[in-house]
Amino acid sequence: MIDEECCGNCDSHNSYHYPTKVFCSTRYDKDQDPIVDTLWRCDDYNKVSQPCYCVREALNVKNGTE
Amino acid sequence: MERKDYLKEPVEHIKIDGALTVDELMGQFKNSGSLGAGRLAAACDIYEKMIKDKDCTLFLALSGAVVPAGMRALVADLVRNHLVDVIVSTGACMVHDAIEAVGGHHYKGGWVVDDAELYRYHLFRIYDILVPEEDFVKLDLILSEMYADIAKQHKGKPLASDEFAFEIGKRLTDKNSILCAAYEEGVPIFSPSARDSEFGFIHWLHASQKNQQNVLQLDAFKDVPTICGICSRSPKNAMLVLGGGVPRNTIQSAALASKKGLDYAIVITLDRPETGGLSGSTLEETVSWGKMKGKADHAMVIGEALMVFPFVVASAKERLGIDFKRESFLQREKRSIQK
Repeated sequence: MIDEECCGNCDSHNSYHYPTKVFCSTRYDKDQDPIVDTLWRCDDYNKVSQPCYCVREALNVKNGTE
Repeated sequence: MERKDYLKEPVEHIKIDGALTVDELMGQFKNSGSLGAGRLAAACDIYEKMIKDKDCTLFLALSGAVVPAGMRALVADLVRNHLVDVIVSTGACMVHDAIEAVGGHHYKGGWVVDDAELYRYHLFRIYDILVPEEDFVKLDLILSEMYADIAKQHKGKPLASDEFAFEIGKRLTDKNSILCAAYEEGVPIFSPSARDSEFGFIHWLHASQKNQQNVLQLDAFKDVPTICGICSRSPKNAMLVLGGGVPRNTIQSAALASKKGLDYAIVITLDRPETGGLSGSTLEETVSWGKMKGKADHAMVIGEALMVFPFVVASAKERLGIDFKRESFLQREKRSIQK
């Protein structure tokens, strides 16, 4: 698991286009575009309680090491 | 009964000489008349009777993994051919249908898997079937927009679950979708436990969205007079259950409340009666409540619906032939009202 503070490690995320895009329920509640990059982050970041592979795999896509 | 009455029909042994059609195999099962094969053959006969009975309204109860396991198109075809007249479903079955209707899929998986790893990959498991989380999320976003649109159209008026299913089906275009087929054919789908599914949990997201002007209202109590009215007006009623739970109970209770009692019943389940729960309760037990008539044709097949139900449907379709057309009591009633 990669412990970076980004959307893919935030408690508000669900998978949308795995692994590069996530759905953010906090942004949805605020009527903002809920689809964001897995590696993005905002001030509402809240560390996820059960980590997943999103960030690791999104970094692999970004670095072309998939 | 006298002793000779117990010994009327000897077991005939199953013979498979070369190629058999499904219905021919069911005929062999009927010759045996024993154990699961005997019950399955009886279920095939009863389903044929239900369909051919012009005065009978056929209620189909759906629960469990009917759609993820691959029976979605089969059920949609039954709806389109009017080989079922009313569906009572868990919310989940219709959610699974909607997931595929908007482009999602269920995948063949396994049951010996690392579930913690599946969690990290955002994959959900239904026994040996997998569904990606994004397919739920994509449906959630579509449903949330649909909810707002439906609420706006109905001006905040609460919907019964069949009206809710009708509105969702109206907005889908996939011809293999049960919801879409039901909307197009005017077959009601009651989903009394819609709240206990993604339909319910997405409502939270929909209702809590900032600036949401139109919050959808669903009223499960509104279902009761509608479904009891169908039972009451239909000269005869039949129940075909895949699984059990709330859908089975809803149909049986409607048959009781309308003081009609079921005339035909088939239950396909792996549940057992010893728990006292409804899903495994015997159909004989149902007679004690008045939910099924004492003389009703009935069969309870102990088996997994995905293995059993396609045999029942294939056998019935083979007997009926490809040119068979059925006009249900509800269709005739609708036609006479339109005149």
